[in-house]
Amino acid sequence: MEELLEVDGGTLQATVELKSLEQWDSLAFVSFLAMADSKYSVKVAPSELRACKTVGDLMKLVSK
Amino acid sequence: MATTKIQGVRIAGIASAVPKTIRDIADMADKFGVEDVQKIIKSTGVERRHVGSPKLCCSDLCCAAAKKLLQDLNWEPASVEALIFVSQSFDFLCVPATSCVLQMRLGLPKTAAAFDVALGCSGHVYGLWIAANLMAGSGFSRVLLLAGDVSSRFASSQDRSTALLFGDGGTATALEKDANAPVLTFSLGTDGSGWKNLIVPAGVQWSRIPRNADTQIRQKTEANNWRSQEDLFMDGAEVFAFTLREVPPLISNVLAASGWTRDEVDYFVFHQANKFMLTHLAKSMKLPLPKVPFSLKEYGNTSSASVPITINSELAEAIRTRPLKLLLAGFGVGYSWAACTAICGPIVAPPVILVNESEAWQC
Repeated sequence: MEELLEVDGGTLQATVELKSLEQWDSLAFVSFLAMADSKYSVKVAPSELRACKTVGDLMKLVSK
Repeated sequence: MATTKIQGVRIAGIASAVPKTIRDIADMADKFGVEDVQKIIKSTGVERRHVGSPKLCCSDLCCAAAKKLLQDLNWEPASVEALIFVSQSFDFLCVPATSCVLQMRLGLPKTAAAFDVALGCSGHVYGLWIAANLMAGSGFSRVLLLAGDVSSRFASSQDRSTALLFGDGGTATALEKDANAPVLTFSLGTDGSGWKNLIVPAGVQWSRIPRNADTQIRQKTEANNWRSQEDLFMDGAEVFAFTLREVPPLISNVLAASGWTRDEVDYFVFHQANKFMLTHLAKSMKLPLPKVPFSLKEYGNTSSASVPITINSELAEAIRTRPLKLLLAGFGVGYSWAACTAICGPIVAPPVILVNESEAWQC
């Protein structure tokens, strides 16, 4: 996740709001869908992803 | 997913044509910023595209490809019994069919059947399915399939989600009856619920969203892009999610129907959507990347022309000299998808043809 958002390892908190991250753009959005598919075998719907507000919400999507 | 097997039809040749004019994506840095453009190039894999002026229609590119193909095959135009034009870039928006005009321009006989099919990314493979079925059912022995689009013109020049991706291309594929031809196996599908994720919303005065003075006004959208109702809209995330859902089963399905294993395929020729998507799909299906040719770098996403362009640019030498076990697949706008397995070659496959602006039809 940190790699995807181009931040240093161990610095990303679950409470961080996605809209505060400059790196959370449309390419990161699609990269997240790809990572969910390849690393977690989860097919995330773009609508579910759009509803995420924080980094923690993203983690919940792939850990269900 | 529906599958079809066709016996006795052979792909005799494939030719592709693009406008001579090249546009480098890096030149768009003035508009979108160096960093954004570099990021987009890295993701899409598109470094340049061949883009014509509005005068150079898709039919002009297809016409150039068809003429070269007929010549190389040594086929008299009079021997062609049907012409299928697959495109979403017609000469005239609705009337008459571009295929009828192409019958005249190519000098095909009046006894020939000609019709248009309005499909995009899935179009070439879909067209092969139509042509092969037509030949199996009608006794026609020579059919020309023309497929292409000039999608670069649908995109707003101020929309980074589309302006840096699409190129123009027109192709011709010749099919011939041949009792000894290997079986062609097809698998196809449709999901119209994705209609709004790749769309030019406003058409003419009488279409679902009628064109008017307001529909041509570009408005600022998310991520600082500008586009109007008459420009192409693409929801990249939705389209990506669709391919993750549908493409792996499509590939498995067509392989199972043909009795082929993944390993025996020489090349998986996919619609050139974008590099990120194709690389991910190839990895998730465990396909070795050297077996997945890319032509995006030079030509961009050319809609229904992308499968033949990839054959003419990346596989021409191989396919001219020996039989290749190919899996062709197109997927996207509609949503619509189609895949085909074919043992193809040696066939006529000239290098990609460059078309001058002066070759536009002077009607």
